[in-house]
This record gives sequence, C-alpha cells and structure tokens, in this order.
Amino acid sequence: MSARRESGVAASPDAPAVPLGGSGRRRAAIGAAWIAFGAALIVFPVVFSNPTVTTIGVFTLVYMTSATAWNGFAGFSGYVPLGHAVFFGVGGYTLALVALHLNMAGGYAMFALVPLGGIAAAVIAVPFGLIALRTRRHTFVVITIAVFFIVQLLAFNLGFTQGSSGVQIPTPLWTAATFNDRFYYAALIVLALAVLVVWGIRRSRFGLQLLAIRDDEDRARGLGVKVQRVKLVGFVLSGVTVGMAGGIYAFFVGQIYPQFAFDPLFDVTVALMAFFGGLGTISGPLLGALLLEPIQQYLTLQYSVGSLYLIIYGALFLVVILAMPRGVIPTAGEYLQMRRARRVERADGRSPAATPSVEVAPLGRASR
Amino acid sequence: MHGGISRRKLTAAGLGSLITAGALAGGLVASSAGAADHAAPKAATPITIGVSLSLSGDFSADGQAFQRGYQLWAKDVNRAGGLLGRPVKLDIVSDASSPTQVVTNYQKLISVNHVNLLFGPFSTLLTVPASKIAYRFGYALVEGAGGAPAVFANGLHNVFDVSLPVVDNLVQFAKWIASMPASQRPKTAAYPTSNDPFTEPQIAPAQRILQKAGVKTVYSKVFPAEVTDYTPIADAVAASHAQVVVLGSVDVPTVSSFIQAFAQQHYNPKAFIATGGPDQGAAFVKAVGASNTNGVMVPNGWYPGYANASSRKMVSEYVKQYGGTASGINSDVAEAYSVGQVVAQAVTATKSLDNAKLIAYMHGNHTFSSVQGPVKFDKLGENGAAAAFAFQWQKGKFVQVLPAHDSNSVKIQYPKANWGS
Amino acid sequence: MGSSIVQAIIDGVLTGGVYALMAAGLTLIFGVMDIINVAQGIFVILGAYLSYSLSVHAGIDPFLGLLITIPALFVVGIGVEWGFMRRLKEGDRTAMSILVTYAVSIVIEGVLNISFTVNYVQIHAWYVNRSVHLLGFYLPYIYVFGFVLAAVLLIALYALLYRTRFGASVRASLQDRTAARLVGIDVRRVSTISFGIGVAVTAAGGMVFGATNAFNASTSYDLISRLLAIVILGGLGSMGGALVAAVFMLVLEDVVAVAWSPIWATAVFFAALVVVLSIRPAGLFGRQVARAQ
Repeated sequence: MSARRESGVAASPDAPAVPLGGSGRRRAAIGAAWIAFGAALIVFPVVFSNPTVTTIGVFTLVYMTSATAWNGFAGFSGYVPLGHAVFFGVGGYTLALVALHLNMAGGYAMFALVPLGGIAAAVIAVPFGLIALRTRRHTFVVITIAVFFIVQLLAFNLGFTQGSSGVQIPTPLWTAATFNDRFYYAALIVLALAVLVVWGIRRSRFGLQLLAIRDDEDRARGLGVKVQRVKLVGFVLSGVTVGMAGGIYAFFVGQIYPQFAFDPLFDVTVALMAFFGGLGTISGPLLGALLLEPIQQYLTLQYSVGSLYLIIYGALFLVVILAMPRGVIPTAGEYLQMRRARRVERADGRSPAATPSVEVAPLGRASR
Repeated sequence: MHGGISRRKLTAAGLGSLITAGALAGGLVASSAGAADHAAPKAATPITIGVSLSLSGDFSADGQAFQRGYQLWAKDVNRAGGLLGRPVKLDIVSDASSPTQVVTNYQKLISVNHVNLLFGPFSTLLTVPASKIAYRFGYALVEGAGGAPAVFANGLHNVFDVSLPVVDNLVQFAKWIASMPASQRPKTAAYPTSNDPFTEPQIAPAQRILQKAGVKTVYSKVFPAEVTDYTPIADAVAASHAQVVVLGSVDVPTVSSFIQAFAQQHYNPKAFIATGGPDQGAAFVKAVGASNTNGVMVPNGWYPGYANASSRKMVSEYVKQYGGTASGINSDVAEAYSVGQVVAQAVTATKSLDNAKLIAYMHGNHTFSSVQGPVKFDKLGENGAAAAFAFQWQKGKFVQVLPAHDSNSVKIQYPKANWGS
Repeated sequence: MGSSIVQAIIDGVLTGGVYALMAAGLTLIFGVMDIINVAQGIFVILGAYLSYSLSVHAGIDPFLGLLITIPALFVVGIGVEWGFMRRLKEGDRTAMSILVTYAVSIVIEGVLNISFTVNYVQIHAWYVNRSVHLLGFYLPYIYVFGFVLAAVLLIALYALLYRTRFGASVRASLQDRTAARLVGIDVRRVSTISFGIGVAVTAAGGMVFGATNAFNASTSYDLISRLLAIVILGGLGSMGGALVAAVFMLVLEDVVAVAWSPIWATAVFFAALVVVLSIRPAGLFGRQVARAQ
C-alpha cells in the first residue's frame, strides 16, 4: 500500500476544518472570482443568445450539476458509484409521469415538478444506498452498476412506465428564440443548489467524517464516526440534485425512454468529468463538465461522420488523463505552487523545501 | 498544497473555460454561417437541407443506409436541374444515435446553419425530439423511419412519415395465413418480440387475426432489446413446436441469432416472418449465411425488385454508385429516397421553400409518388396510401410474395424450406 | 416445460463456459493490478474481428486462427499496459483505470468502425449451425467446442498460476503488492504480463462470441457489464470463481427466460449479483478483505 497519499485527491486544496492558509485578501479574491463566475453564467444566454449555444448550455449545466453532486459523494468518501443514472432517470420519469397523469399542458407549472424529481431520487437512494454501501470499494462499483441495470429493466417492464414506448412530455409553446432560456435558468438554479450543498458538506463536520471514511474507514469507525449513516446521507444528498437535473433534462428534450433516461454512458461521463476536473474539489467537476460536454457535442457534430470523433475524443482524453492524472485543477494548482516556490527560492536563496506547506490536516489525512 | 493559490487559479481557469466554451460556441456560429442565404444571385445559391443521422452508435447501420439514400436523391435531383432551378445541398450531421445530440443537431441546423428544409433522422426514438424542435421553428419534418404511434401522439402537425405505418406491417401476412383452407392452415404460432416501440405494436393486430382464424398461440413473450444471448429464448420457441413464427425484431443480429438457434435445434417452422432484419439485403445474408435465408419472410413497404419506374431507376443507380447487387440494397435507402422525392414534389408544386406553405400543401390531400409507391398524408401525418407488402427470400433472391394477387407477387414458398437448404 | 428447462440449463452451461473465458482475463487483471479494464469488452470484439478477417480473407479456420489471434492480442495487451496503465499512480488506481480503459476502448471502437464499417458480421464455419444429438437434446457444435476450448484455456491458466514460478509471482502480487516487491518480485513485469495474458484470452472468447452472435463494435457495451458482474460475483482474481459465476449466472438467466419471461431474466441476473454480494461481499470465491480496499 502506498505510504503517502497524493495531496491532490486526498485532502482537497480547500480542506474545511482549518482556516485557509491565505490572508483575508486572498479569500476575498477567491470569493470575487466565484461571484464573477456566477455572474458570467447568468449573463451567458444574453450574450450568446443563439438557441444552439443555449441548447448546449442547458446540457452542459445539467452535466455540471450531476458531476458536482456525484463528486460530493465520490470525491469525499472515496466510494465510486457508477449508478447515478438511476437518480437522473427517476427524476425524469417522475416529471414525465406526473405531468401525464395530471394532464398538464407544457408551461411554467411543469418546473414545479423538478423538485419532485429530486425527492423521488432521494427516496430511491435510501434502499439503493442501504444495499450498496454495505460493501467495500471494488464491489461497491459493481453493485451500483448492477442496481442501475435492474432499474433500467424495471423502467422497460413495469406497466406504469409505459415500457419501450416511453413517455411523451408536453412541450410548452414559448417563442422559439428564447425557448431555451427558461430551461437554462432552471438548470442554473439547480446547479447553484448542487454547488451549495457540496460546499456546505465540505465546510461541515459531516464532510470531515466523509473524508475520514475515505482515508481509513475502519479507523474512522474506531474513532466514533457512524460510518454507515454518514455514507448513506452523503449518497442520498448526491442523488437529489442529480434527480432534479434529470427532470429538467427530460422536460427539455420532450420525451423519456428507458434506455436514454437510464444510460450507462451517463454514469461514465459524469465520473469522467469529475476526475478530469479533479476529484474532491468543488470547481473540478464544474470545469470538467464545462469543457467536456461542449467538446463532446462539437466533436460529434463535426466529426461523427466516419467515427473519427470517437478516436479524437478518446485520444484527447487519454492524453489529458495521463498528463494530469489527478485532474486539471489540482495539477494546475500544483504547477502554480511549484512556480511560486521556485520564485520564492530565487528571491531569497531559500530552498523550496522550507516553504510552509501543509496546513493542519483533517482527520486521517496522512495515513494510508 | 495550498488552498489559496490553486483556488484562485482554478476560478480563473473556470472563467477561462467559460469563455472558451463560449468561443467554441461562437466558432460554431461563425463556421457554419457560410450556408445558403448570403449575397449572391438567387440562381446560384443552393437550397440547403439539414439532416441529423445516426452514423455511429446503435442505429449506425441504418443511419448510414439512410445517408446513402439521401445522397443518391440529391445527386439525381441536381442532375435533373435542381429544385426551383437551384442545386440542392445536403447538410448532414451525425447524432451518434443519441437523443441529446439530435436536439443540438437540429437546433444548430436551424439556428446556425439556417437551412431551408429539414429531413428526418432515423428511428422513432430520435424523430420525436427532432419534431418538437422543428415544430417550434415552423419547419416541416418529413421522415421515413419514425413510424411508431409515439411520433404522432404529440399532435404536432408538421411531421410527415412517408413510409408504411408500423401497425399495419404484419396484417398482410396474417390475412394470408387466415385465408388458407383449414386443412392447410398451420395450427400453432409463436410470437417472440423485442421490447421496442417499432415491433410491439405490430404483433397484436397480427395475433388477433391469426387467433380468430383458429391458430393457437403457443408462445408469446417479450424479450429485452439489449439481450446478448438469444439462445434460450429461441430454444424455448423451438420447444413449443409452433408451426408459424412471428418474430418482432428490429435488426439483423436478433434475427440471425434466432435463425442460428433454430438451425441448431433442427426446428423448421412452416412459416417464419421477422419484422426487421431480412430487409437489410446483403447485411442480412452475410450474417445469417446464404443457405439459411431461404423462405424467410419480412413485411415492408418496398423491396429492390419493386415494379415502379422510379424505384428501378434508383436501384440501378445505387448499384452503379455503390456496387453490389440489387438484392443487397437495404430498404432504408428507399425510405430516405422517398423523403427527398416527396419534399421535392411539394416544393415544386408550391413553388416555394416556405415551410408553412409546404406543411399546408402536404396536408392538402395530395398524392405524391415515390420509389415506395404512392404517398398521401392523413391528418396525423401518416401515409395512408402506403403499400404493404410481404417479401421472401427464395434461393438467394428477395422477391415480393404478398399481396398474393398482386401482379408482381410470385408464389409464396410454403412450407418454408429447411435451414441450410 | 421440463425438457425446456433442461435445455435451458444445457444452454447456460455451454454459454457460461464462453463467458467464463472472457471473464477469466478480466479477473486476472483485476486481481493482480487492481485495474478495472473496461476495455475488455472491446478487446473481445477485436478478437472476434481478427478471427473474422482471418476466416474471410485468408480462409483460416477460426479455431486454428487462434494461434495467431491469441499472441496478437497478447501484444496489444502489453502495449496498452505499457502505454497507459503503468502511468497510473497507486492512490486512485482503480477509479482512474476505469477512465483510462474507457478512453482506450472508445478509440479502439472508432478504429474498428472505420476498418470494418458498422455492418454486423458473424463468423461462419461448418460447426456453427450444426449440432450433435445427445439424449434427445441438440447441442450446437460451436458451443461444445467453445466450452472445451474454455476449459482447456482455464486449465492452462490454472497450471500457469499454480505450477510455475511466474504463476507464484502473480499470486504473490495478487495477495499483497508491497510484500511481493519486498520479496524481490518484479511486480511491474508481472503486472504487464498479467495484463497481456488477461487480454490474450479475450481472443478465444471473442472467436466463440463472434461465431454465435452477429456483432459490430458497439456490441462491446453489453458485454462488459456482464463480464464485470461475473468477475465480482466469482471473486477477485479467482479463475475457478469466474467459471462458476459465469455458469451460474448464465444458467439462472436462461432458466428464468424459459420458465418465467426473458424480460426478467437479465434483471434476475443482476439481482442475484446484488443478493450474493450483500451476503458475501468478496464474491463466491474471493478472499475476505480485512481492511477497506
């Protein structure tokens, strides 16, 4: 077993328990950056108003939400679930079926069904989590895959889901030019919610407990952490916003079918985005989704003729993973720290080793 | 690792990526702005037709056949002088069989490429979201491969399916069996079908007709579309000793697995019809093996030997361009070609590219002609005049066998030859 | 109904052998390297395409062709390990391996689509459609041969693991990589060769799969989820476990398909996995792990 854990993935650069190693000014700068980011997202559809761009924007926001929420569990607990499509699909089906049974017409009222999708996802997450979380890492991955397939099959075969004919979702009659904007903003709200949840987790003792579980589960249990409950709560929390994202997605596309609502590619894509950006960081999955989703859509659009896009996408991905195995954000951060340390060293002849590095780590960071 | 540094960097990176994404998007806008309608004398500017096709992924075999059909049509039209005096240009993008991509694709074709007209994608699953976007922007969506009821359940008046409505596919076959004299008529039937909006709606009407004619159902089960191993299911069908097998399949692998298992079990039903697969020409023969195709039937609205002038012309051109034989032509090609023909006729008749006018015209009870026969749209957009045929592979040739009294039908091979003969 | 069920059991046993072959490689890689090789599915298809090409273009019988395709895939495996897997750091190895192997698999899928087009093909030979009549049941030759091949290769693998020095190194690395390194085993080399072997056996599995199913590059997705389930059910690194799990799962699925309904057969497959794992988290023959992995 490795004696030392990579700093990038373990205690994330933004470890909660301790005041950050920077000055108040730095914290203000970071806060300002986040605000600027949020503002950019808000004005995006106004600036880039072409419906094609906002369409990609909606899908990207949906993935950003899903990747963030997924990372909120996987990144902190170290358990890698590959079955979150269950929540995505449940959210979508909830919206679709309720709209169907209430004979709703397409309109703003349907957005009220989105939180309902989140609740349904949370409800499903409980038995799902209870079954899956009893196992350890490798087995957990496969159990989540298995449950995913079971749910997909249920969607195909239970009468009320209408099986392979899928469910049609009423589409509102808003003006074409700004049709997408409503979905964009709805997705943005859900994204904000997801980010807040993850941020809240990390800043709390609950988050500490998750991190402890990641670093050494048995030791955490020995230290009094209620491991099963903590894992379950984290798992359920990660499902809620994914369910809501699924509801918005289904409403946007206008239909829902079992194999697309419960799509194994969704699971891999979300994991990909989180890893790409940096597991365990907040901004990592955001960046991952922000880059990967438009790129993937663009490549498919331009190069799918002839399957070339598969090769390009895969190769691109391989290059990035191997060059930055911990994800873009942590690697970028490390690179900058290296530069900074060298600059400091050159400035006053000190060796980089003397530079103050690790802040007081949360429970269990150094072990493993 | 310091929290502060990386955090600032990462938010800058975040902003940077947002801008990158925006630039990418902007690039999309810019790169495609070269389409049709800028400057230039009217005569020279081509008419652009946007299509999203599944050139990879689950539907790729059909998507690529569709592409060939659309392209063949475009070539023919341009050779004959174009539409309204202008050349036709296809703008084809791929959706990798994904509904998410279909949404983006049609959105881009409409709002970025500003195409004049749209053709439909492959499969009901992708046609529905495409139709909603087209509707929103007032485009007509003429398609040839989205025929399940789900497509027409939304009450959108801009969708037109030129092919035979799915539900009626097996009726000819069922009626033929029912019309046999009682002594000849098979006594039992099996109905294995894939879990799919294309196959399931077809089975029930056929089963009703057969049951009324006294053919007992000895096996009727739905199997998942994602099965990798059909052997136990096929073996169960074989064990039922049904004299007729009505297989609800969408693609070649399904049919070929069943045929293989039937051959291994030495089970030879008197009649065997599959809803999809045997109509894919060379692809079917290659997968199943030439000696196993004998006697296999499939319903469809078209086949390469169809006695229709424009169909024959299309067939010979296809062979000239892509090689192979007439029997090897996938029926998707004809569906795609028909879409082009109907749209061309509507455009020529209304002398305009105004989608609203085209929609009104196509709902105006006019009959169009296509390589698949006559096309006349009902209120929903389905083709009420579509010809329903059943075909059979006979000694390596794909021939029309039903309707029995049609002048172009040959005698049906009944009972079906044993596998491998 | 009774004979249908017996037929289903026979089908399950025979096809289980084929799946066991494909899963054996996966479990070996998984066990020795903690790597989830999601590309195993596409390697199977690659093997199938290679066998297909040899059969169609060079007229080589698929079983004989294995003499070429197995070494070929061994080389491919080594190449992938050397090029990509060894760059993975210890910490997040398993999770990262999913991503890396997924990326590799889509690149290979793209290449296959371009080389062979997306049309479905199937490997043909005299034994594919014929069957032997035994005790009132028809046993398709290809399944019987495939089962025998699977058994032979699994026995060979077993011999390799338990009767050779190299095999001892593999087993040591399987148990504890650090300890193995301490004892002087070149874990890196062992890993590379194990990966190569794990991929090489997919050539055999692929050949039989390609002869019994029409396939193209996208068939790999269905395959990999089942293979993963089988491997975990059987227990990490256990060859015997892979065989038992494969046969168990396939028989269960086939019987359910016949006795109840094909729709629920696959659901039962995965539900069985969930049930077994809840009781025995390490799988049927896996070692109970003392600490979290």
